[in-house]
Amino acid sequence: MCLKPGVADSTADSSEGLDEVLFLEEFCFPFLLRAQNADGGWGYMPGSASGTEPTCWALLALHGASNDDASEGAARLGPQWLRQAQLPDGSWPAFVGQQQGCWVTALACLALKAQQEARDSVARGVRWLCDTWPAEGGFWPRLGRRLQRTPAVVRQDSSLRGWNWTPGTASWVEPTSYSLILMKNLSGELLPPSSGKRVRLAEAMLYDRMCPGGGWNAGNPLVYGVAGMPRVGPTVWALLALLDQRDRPENRKSLDWLSAAFPEIQGPGSLALAHLCLQAHGRTVLGNRTSSSVLETSLRTRQAVNQFLMNVPVVAWAAIALSGVPDWLIRIED
Amino acid sequence: MSASNCSLVPSFTRPPSRVAICRAPDYGVDLSRLLYETLSEFDLPVEGKTVLLKPNFVEPDPQNVINTHPAVVGAAFEAFLRLGAKSVLVAEGPGNERDTEAIVETIRLRDHIGPLPGKFVDLNVDEVERVALKTRASKLKELYLPKTVLRADIVVSLPKLKTHHWAGVTLSLKNMFGIVPGNCYGWPKNDLHWAGLTRSILDINGTVRPDFAIVDGIVGMEGNGPIQGIAKPCGVLVLGEDPVAVDATCTRIMGLAPERIDYLAHAGLLLGHLKEENIRQLGESVASVKTPFAVLHEFRRLRAA
Repeated sequence: MCLKPGVADSTADSSEGLDEVLFLEEFCFPFLLRAQNADGGWGYMPGSASGTEPTCWALLALHGASNDDASEGAARLGPQWLRQAQLPDGSWPAFVGQQQGCWVTALACLALKAQQEARDSVARGVRWLCDTWPAEGGFWPRLGRRLQRTPAVVRQDSSLRGWNWTPGTASWVEPTSYSLILMKNLSGELLPPSSGKRVRLAEAMLYDRMCPGGGWNAGNPLVYGVAGMPRVGPTVWALLALLDQRDRPENRKSLDWLSAAFPEIQGPGSLALAHLCLQAHGRTVLGNRTSSSVLETSLRTRQAVNQFLMNVPVVAWAAIALSGVPDWLIRIED
Repeated sequence: MSASNCSLVPSFTRPPSRVAICRAPDYGVDLSRLLYETLSEFDLPVEGKTVLLKPNFVEPDPQNVINTHPAVVGAAFEAFLRLGAKSVLVAEGPGNERDTEAIVETIRLRDHIGPLPGKFVDLNVDEVERVALKTRASKLKELYLPKTVLRADIVVSLPKLKTHHWAGVTLSLKNMFGIVPGNCYGWPKNDLHWAGLTRSILDINGTVRPDFAIVDGIVGMEGNGPIQGIAKPCGVLVLGEDPVAVDATCTRIMGLAPERIDYLAHAGLLLGHLKEENIRQLGESVASVKTPFAVLHEFRRLRAA
């Protein structure tokens, strides 16, 4: 299986990079290909029912694989499953059978956007995202906050709205970031006129929800006046969504936090995502060591211990990170 | 299956509940033996059953102040196997941290239960099934819940003894939030907050009521819990088959009044016993282990008179 060339690490010499290719070929891609269900989708674990999120990550990860028969089959059946899972209103549910679309809609559009025959699906998905507003800025929540006698537990500007995990709930960092990454990647003709306003509002919301010391958690930077602790996952997604604003001091501060946190990361999913983010922002990892080889060694060790808990999205994130910065992130900077 | 075995029974018709309080000064004592001996007194029908342990794993916290201590999880794991369980699973769906493996690796869970594959289930990514809720305390009508939980014969809630900056305290009932899967509801599980946080606790437990509760109160958390509070050594494990009675007992140990905690007061009507006179204490008395916990100013009303 040959691989799409990733973004080269500036410190790597010609012999380095072999390990991560081996891990991709020996473990990540075979695992993902074996985990695909007969219906074309992927479940969160091999053998479990197909779901939208694992199918999206598997497709985005296998985008880096070669054109052999197995990956070709995956590339054909996977998008087909995704398109069939779309709801009439343009959104995607987490699982087939659910009647309501949710946060996975942005991921589904991202996974399908390269498919010419899926353009209509993507356009309907993006329209749904632009037409769907989180609940915190609605009339009743605003009235409730005005009438509240006690000071607010959480300090944030609720007029700044991004996207929620599920309809009828509030904006959070991760789903907002997914939608931003999508919208900054799409060509103009697929974006509804309201998308520009939504993007600007969502970016402002992300900066409003940043933890005082840099980085992001789910979306509560201050609770009872106490600074929230940032977490790797939301920090990565926010920084990737704001990749086109890398010189803003908030982003530099958050990258500093992520760089400092990197050596202590215990989970393979967080490790892969943090590496991807630092690489996308042009940061070196762990001084002058070759970052890809550090990542490969760490992932290999963790895979031997817990088998990544057989988690399809985690293996997909590992594959994406080892393949270099993907084009759906590079486009943000174009 | 716990979901069909739920006990929505007016509490005045229930026989008194038994709650055991065991002293355990630190995590170095033989917790496995302590739990085995105490669990034996409850005559749980464990033989040949699948037991699911639901700890409270929140953050990758190496100090184990936030999470149920893995030594307690390991001890419970071993004790249920010794009692004849066919299999024991540890299952959790953290509400804030999406990288569950980061948490279980940071706390070194595998040092206590052995290799994780096949023994640990991340409920945030489990297969789900639509379940109609049996109560209507919140705005929720149904929830997608993990099949692993719904198929377990015995569900054991294994929380940490902590204060909580939204709910007052987080114990065995609030711990059941962790069965609601992130893959459907996100991180945090914001639907529960919008439906009414404390009332959601009632609906979840009204539908999947834990069959047993073991509270890790060896070191608890006071103040701005459940994450940013301060470690509070308390030196106890609290066990029982009635999660309401266990939580009420824990609350009294913390120097708080259970009837002033909204969800506990309501749980005391249908899910179990709240009143002291309906709880038969085994082992230590509440008074002998009482350790008043500091609470946020906003929750000072919860203090027992």
